[in-house]
Parts: sequence; structure tokens; C-alpha cells
Amino acid sequence: MEENNKMTAERSLEIISEQIEQSRLTVNKNLSWGLIWWGIWVIVFALLVAWLWEHCGGPVWNWLWAVMWLIGYGGEWFMAEYKRPVPPTFISKTIGQVWGSFGVFIGFIGFVFGLIGCRILPVELVVPDGHVYINITSIISLCFGMASTLTGFILKNRIVQVCGIIAGLGGFWGALHYPWFEQLYVMAAVAFVGLVMPGLVICFKNQK
Amino acid sequence: MFTPLDPLLHSELRLAVMSLLISAEEAEFPYIKEQTGATAGNLSVQIDKLATAGYIEVEKTFKGKKPCTLCRITPVGLRAFEDYVTALKSYLEVGSK
Repeated sequence: MEENNKMTAERSLEIISEQIEQSRLTVNKNLSWGLIWWGIWVIVFALLVAWLWEHCGGPVWNWLWAVMWLIGYGGEWFMAEYKRPVPPTFISKTIGQVWGSFGVFIGFIGFVFGLIGCRILPVELVVPDGHVYINITSIISLCFGMASTLTGFILKNRIVQVCGIIAGLGGFWGALHYPWFEQLYVMAAVAFVGLVMPGLVICFKNQK
Repeated sequence: MFTPLDPLLHSELRLAVMSLLISAEEAEFPYIKEQTGATAGNLSVQIDKLATAGYIEVEKTFKGKKPCTLCRITPVGLRAFEDYVTALKSYLEVGSK
């Protein structure tokens, strides 16, 4: 691009829209990789925890999710060191905040319930009479679906919105119906529909 | 009557830089260079012109041990860009009649 002060109004408008569109595509590309990256790790760990739960000792293996967070964030940090920097935009920041809030909420819920499961915290802290059954996977699936649907609304992408709704409601229903180790297979399906599929959709749309 | 176009923005490269910065909070020099396809020298000169006019802010910092130049649009630049687009519309409206 060279110095040219004799542009037509049409050319000026073309430059503005080209640059805004290019910047949007770069942000979307970065976002799609984030969704696919986390989606794959959730699927891998859901299947691993499900298998270990079924064959080697029960739900205590849910603590492995903490390892997933470490691998996920560690990998993101490592990739950020080597890949070309992408400038923060209002859209990328908002989507980051949506998924960040989701991570904090479900991380907190998972941690507290994990401590209760290990008898470090009393069950009465969450359930006063100690007899109500709470299925965390169904709650997490619902939050997952909401975060995914909101991402679809921010990106104005109908397919991502639908993926989020299916992941959230389907996961909520599925986890309630399969409350034991099978709920982690539901979690894997939720991650595929709510993270990997939207990531792929955004990625393919960008390439068009 | 046409509204005069801001001569500082009415240049391909400077307009491209401003358009990039309008959608990003801040951008690093290599990113702007890659997106606009400009040479480092030319881009540097145009960024200086925009910074001198107060349209953008340039921050020289370090990323680890590497020097890093960050550019961000200022409220003055934002206003100038809005005015430029408004002026541009008047040309396009006349052109389409």
C-alpha cells in the first residue's frame, strides 16, 4: 500500500471496509482455534475420567479436571508466545469475558463440590439437609450452552447459536438422565457440539 | 456542497492504519505492517504523521527482551475518522444520484 492522496470516495470506502473485515477475520480465526483447543481437551478428559471412574475407583477421578485446566492454559500461554499477536477488539474481549466468567463459575462449583466429595467440606455447606442430589454436569452443560449461545449472538452466527442451545439443553437433560460415569460421555458430546463444532464453523466460514 | 476530506486521512496507508485501529483497542507495529502490506519504513513515516496530528498514540515498550511498538487510536483520531466517513458519505450520495 503506497502513498496516494488522489483516491476516489469509493476507493476510500473500500480500504476502510477491507481493513475492518481483515481485522474481523483475524480475530475470528484466533477465536475458532481457542474453541477447538479447549473443546478437544474437554472431550479427551471427559472420556478419560469416564473410563477411570468406571474401571478404577469412582468419581474421585474428577480431580483430573484440574490437570486439564493446567494443560489448557499452559498450552494457550505457550502458543501465545510463538504465534503472531492479534490485537484485542471489543468482540474478542467480550467473548473472552463470557468464556472467562463461565470458567470461573464452573471452576468454583467443581472445586467446592470436589472438596465436599472428599469430605474436606461438609455437605451441609451446599445442601442444608444433606439429602438433595445435585448433578454438577447438568449445571455445567447448561452454563456451557449459554456461553456458546452468547458467543453465537456476539458473532451474529446462527449455527453457533443453535449449537449452543443444543449443547446446553441436550447436556442438561442428558446428564440428569445418566447420572453416573455416563454423564461424562454427555460432557464430551456437549464439548463437541458447544465448542468444537462452533470453532469449526467459524474456521470454515473464515476460509470462504 | 462537498465537505472537504481530511488530507491526513485521505491517503491509502494512513486510512488503512486508522481503519485497523478503529476496530482494535491497540495493535503492534508488525501486525499493522502485515495487514496493510506496507514496508516498515513507509509505515513508520505514516504512523509518525498520524501521531504528530494526535490521531494515534504510539507507545514504545518491551515484550520480554524484544522492543515492541504499540499503536492505539485517540479520541481526537476517532472524531477525525468519524468526520472523514461522514464527509465520504456526501461524496458517495452525490455520486449515486
